[in-house]
Amino acid sequence: MSSQQNGRRPYLPPFRRDWWLQLRFYRLYMLREATVLPLLFFVGWLIYGLYSLGQGPMQWQHWLEFMAKPWVFVLNLLTLAASLFHAKTFFELFPRVMPLAPPGLMIAGQWLGTVVVAIGLIVLLGGYV
Amino acid sequence: MTQTIVIARYNPEQDEKPHHEAYQVQSDDNTSVLDALQQVQQQDPGLSFRWSCRMAICGSCGVMVNGVPKLGCQTFLRDYPAGLVITPLSNFAVEKDLIVNMEPFLEHLSAIKPWLINTAEGTQPHVQTPKQLAKYQQFANCINCGLCYSACPQFGLNPEFRGPAALALAHRYNLDSRDQGKAQRMPELNAKNGVWTCTFVGFCSEVCPKKVDPAAAINQGKVESAKDMIVSVLKPSGAR
Ligand code: SF4
Ligand code: FES
Repeated sequence: MSSQQNGRRPYLPPFRRDWWLQLRFYRLYMLREATVLPLLFFVGWLIYGLYSLGQGPMQWQHWLEFMAKPWVFVLNLLTLAASLFHAKTFFELFPRVMPLAPPGLMIAGQWLGTVVVAIGLIVLLGGYV
Repeated sequence: MTQTIVIARYNPEQDEKPHHEAYQVQSDDNTSVLDALQQVQQQDPGLSFRWSCRMAICGSCGVMVNGVPKLGCQTFLRDYPAGLVITPLSNFAVEKDLIVNMEPFLEHLSAIKPWLINTAEGTQPHVQTPKQLAKYQQFANCINCGLCYSACPQFGLNPEFRGPAALALAHRYNLDSRDQGKAQRMPELNAKNGVWTCTFVGFCSEVCPKKVDPAAAINQGKVESAKDMIVSVLKPSGAR
């Protein structure tokens, strides 16, 4: 029996393109997804840096000056903030995907790992050893 | 106290599309959305909505309250001093007023074979330890209310997506020590509209009245799906 015959006329509202603006929860989700954008800049500059390193001291100096420009610095700060926000959300989601230990312990462990790796890299690359 | 609530109305025999109407209801601290709807039904017997148990068990009273999926019997007017707009569950077609067609949801549920698949002969009971039960118990608490489907933008974008409750239920049976049906369910999980359609928006778990955490179940399903794919690549062809 068709919908017409039995009096049914189901109405499916069109799916809103701006669905993610409707609730705070969705906006935060979109923010998490958007953290990849500043990261793209950062990766681009890193590749530029590697390239400059290969080109010799002149180009390397040029890259260092570029990285010290205020707007580059500010964008890098933004990248750091975005990455920390992404890390926070990721670390909180991870124990739900792989419940290996109590969530609190896993979240703390991941932050500890991040700090250890960060300090290790700073010591190693900063010329402290 | 008198409170105004706004309800989406749609009469398929008269209306081109749904519209909102305001109603006055008497409310105190114990007035649920379902109670309020029943009061409105006294004024206007034509108002259609689903309910049965009034105690968050049957899963039939789902509606959107101010854009968030809720069980009507478990949601109270006292928590909405600024007023409420009650609309039918999102991402489903409206049949009349607050009643939606749940058929697509039920199809997704049955597609993942949500029952014990066990080839053991005889009438022996299947023994299970508390530890084995604990593995899947959380995912077995689903009451099939469908709120998670209304919370899921991926389902809204692509109604073919198997969706939160169905994939959580698949995971629930796959984790059950008495079940042997995992090999039959994995193709559904691996498929285009299976677990990989999920992007972990996570609102499904937020709105779930039974704390099933379907988003966790789906993403645990991704781990299983990845394992399943690696195994199928490593296995010599023909072996199964
Ligand atoms: S997973 Fe939760 S929200 Fe989804 S149908 Fe089951 S009980 Fe309802
Ligand atoms: S009436 Fe049964 S869950 Fe609300």
